[in-house]
Amino acid sequence: MITLDKVAKAYATAAGRKIVLADACAEFAPGHNVGILGANGAGKSTLIRLLAGSEMPDRGTVRRTARVSFPLGFGGTFHPALSGRENVAFVARVYGAAVRPTIRFVEEFAELDQYFDMPVQTYSAGMRARLAFGTCLAIDFDVYLIDEITEIGDERFRRKCVAAFRQRLNSSDIILATHNSHTIQQYCDRGAILADGQLQLFDDVASAFERYRRMLVEPFACHSADA
Amino acid sequence: MNDNIALAHTSQDIEGLWSALNAGELDSCLAYLSQADRTDEPDAALECRLAEALLHEGRREEAVECCRRALPRVAGDVAMLQICAWVFSNCRCHEAAASAYRGLLALCPDWAEGYRHLSGSLAALGRAEEAIAAALDAASLTPDDSAALVYAAELLMAAGRIDEAAGLLGGAADTAAEPRLLRVLSAAEMLRDRLPAALAAIDRALAEAPDNAEYHAHRGHLLWQLGDIAGGAAALAWAAALDPGNREVQRAQLSLYLAAGLVSEATAAGGALLQRFPDDKPAAEAVLHLLAHRLDTIDGEYVVLSGAAERPPRPLRPPPGWLDRWRGQRRVIGALIIRETRTRFPDLKLGYGWALIEPVLHITLLSATFAVLMRGQPPIGRHFFIFYYTGLIPYLMFVHTSSGMCHAITGNGAVLQLPPVTTFDVVAARGLLEIMTDIVVAAVLLAGFNAIGLAALPDDLWQPAMALLAIAALGCGCGFINAVITVFWRSWEKGYAQLARVLYFISGIFYVPGMMPDWAREVLAWNPLLQAIDWFRAGFFANYQPHWLDRSYVVVLAILALLAGFGLERSLRRRLSVPL
Repeated sequence: MITLDKVAKAYATAAGRKIVLADACAEFAPGHNVGILGANGAGKSTLIRLLAGSEMPDRGTVRRTARVSFPLGFGGTFHPALSGRENVAFVARVYGAAVRPTIRFVEEFAELDQYFDMPVQTYSAGMRARLAFGTCLAIDFDVYLIDEITEIGDERFRRKCVAAFRQRLNSSDIILATHNSHTIQQYCDRGAILADGQLQLFDDVASAFERYRRMLVEPFACHSADA
Repeated sequence: MNDNIALAHTSQDIEGLWSALNAGELDSCLAYLSQADRTDEPDAALECRLAEALLHEGRREEAVECCRRALPRVAGDVAMLQICAWVFSNCRCHEAAASAYRGLLALCPDWAEGYRHLSGSLAALGRAEEAIAAALDAASLTPDDSAALVYAAELLMAAGRIDEAAGLLGGAADTAAEPRLLRVLSAAEMLRDRLPAALAAIDRALAEAPDNAEYHAHRGHLLWQLGDIAGGAAALAWAAALDPGNREVQRAQLSLYLAAGLVSEATAAGGALLQRFPDDKPAAEAVLHLLAHRLDTIDGEYVVLSGAAERPPRPLRPPPGWLDRWRGQRRVIGALIIRETRTRFPDLKLGYGWALIEPVLHITLLSATFAVLMRGQPPIGRHFFIFYYTGLIPYLMFVHTSSGMCHAITGNGAVLQLPPVTTFDVVAARGLLEIMTDIVVAAVLLAGFNAIGLAALPDDLWQPAMALLAIAALGCGCGFINAVITVFWRSWEKGYAQLARVLYFISGIFYVPGMMPDWAREVLAWNPLLQAIDWFRAGFFANYQPHWLDRSYVVVLAILALLAGFGLERSLRRRLSVPL
């Protein structure tokens, strides 16, 4: 379970202060996969990073009574001068996972072959993404956080990802932020909407979609064409 | 012009004024008529005509002024009253216009248009009930004039009396199929939630006027509300084709498609809208969203992961106790130290060997120089190497630790993205690595001295070890402070390097404080690094026991520095995260 208790978060942009959360309270119950909807720029990525703990709220607290992943596929923590193997070993040590089995899993999963022992700075973007995806899946988290599932690699690799993911989903929850309604319908059984500094949770995906669609249509409503 | 005025003055000949008026010389007429000291009663008709002429020229205030003067004297004259009422209502003097129209209607009670004018003035005054009454009078006088009916119905609808309006219009619509009337009837029916009746009315209106874009748009809204998305879309498309410059119609199309989830159609409608109105921000946002949505769903190779929610949830993990937290932190710091050893000198093949080379070169250089200058005798002990070793090792440990930690946070933005890794961890890991490195270097050098035959082992092992520990703590505390300052002030490291250089000269590395004048030594004795070096040396050389040495001073300062560093990091933690 992840609980947001009066969490406030804002950051400065060129256009002024952007408020992501304004004293928001929410509870992600265990046993459910939640899809977070929100317009571009509403702060979905920031929210995911707050849930992960990569970022601290300005005020309020995020409580976790589960082991929460770092955002799936996020390769920003890799040291460019270290090899893939060394980077994976580091992440495994940080999370207290057994180093050797983790390395073996990623080595098999990411299919980097001889590149696995070369510095990450020599990787292509796709190789880096495969390494990051594999590293996150290699560690047994209670909740996987996903900020936009990006399609990586070829068809075969994608199937492999989905298969590995499905296996994880048998025992873990996911919290998924995306603007792709399709993905949410495939993976989630609950929905949430991030808008205007508040996070609204719904008990099913359909009602979250319904509300979100209405929010999208509202600025256009022009039934005043009469009289 | 002056002739006419003169004429009017002398003979009071109204004829002259009439001719001036007809000749368009309004000013001379006005000048004469507005004379305050006039004794005669000029023709009221003349004033009215003048007002009419003035209004035609756009001189509203003067026209109203003339009418106000003339009004009391035209009571029975319908034509003149009409002019006054017309002038008043055109000059927005609705109050005066209303009373003029009332006067007129008293004279000719069957004048239907008069009631409508009266109604208009009353409506402009906000007297809705009276306006409606007048409009209904007008409508009842001319039952065949649909314009009067529509006008009355619109007033009723504006006042919220929808049912009355619908009744009024419905009665007339049975006999006359006037499109405007049917359009307003449709709006009234829609407002009282009788959508099928509204649709029937607008269909009849469109049968009469098939090319009216607004009627089609209204019909589209009705069909949409009735749940007929395709019909609504078709009607809106028709409206858009008839009136391509109408933004509202195109927005209605877009919102209909959005609400119906018709992505392709919505994208097309949004694209057309944006092409015509590129400044429409909500439309741009909606189209952006739609495009992203389309990109995501174009290749739809998805595997449905059903049943994931049915499995039992994992047991909750209680918040970790202090032991777990300590273990976790030790694990993270350990992992960070291993990572740092691999990345510390990424560009040098020598790697970690560099850590050894620096102090060796330093000591050799110092020894060689001073051995020549001092002709073979160091201040304490027998070997220059050992003497400089005892000065340099504590100094280097302090400087390496405290300045090496400067960029611990700023240089580790990437690894701080991992939630378990805190700013404390990265700073502590960097400090510990520096300390461990320098301890290894100190031990290796000592072993090296012994290997080349210099009797280098300290007389007391305990004292130098404690001195190094105190220095490590002091360096760590300063390092924590440095790491926090560097986040807010990136070039702080350069300033700190200057401080380290000054310390190099005032810490008794290549001399002993005993060689200085008393006053200078008393000042320098406040330097904790000098104290620490003397502490280190006092352990190395049993016969070197300086009386100014105060070990507790070093320990207290080290503890204070650590507390300050930890406290600074803890209190500013939320502001220390470095954006990538």
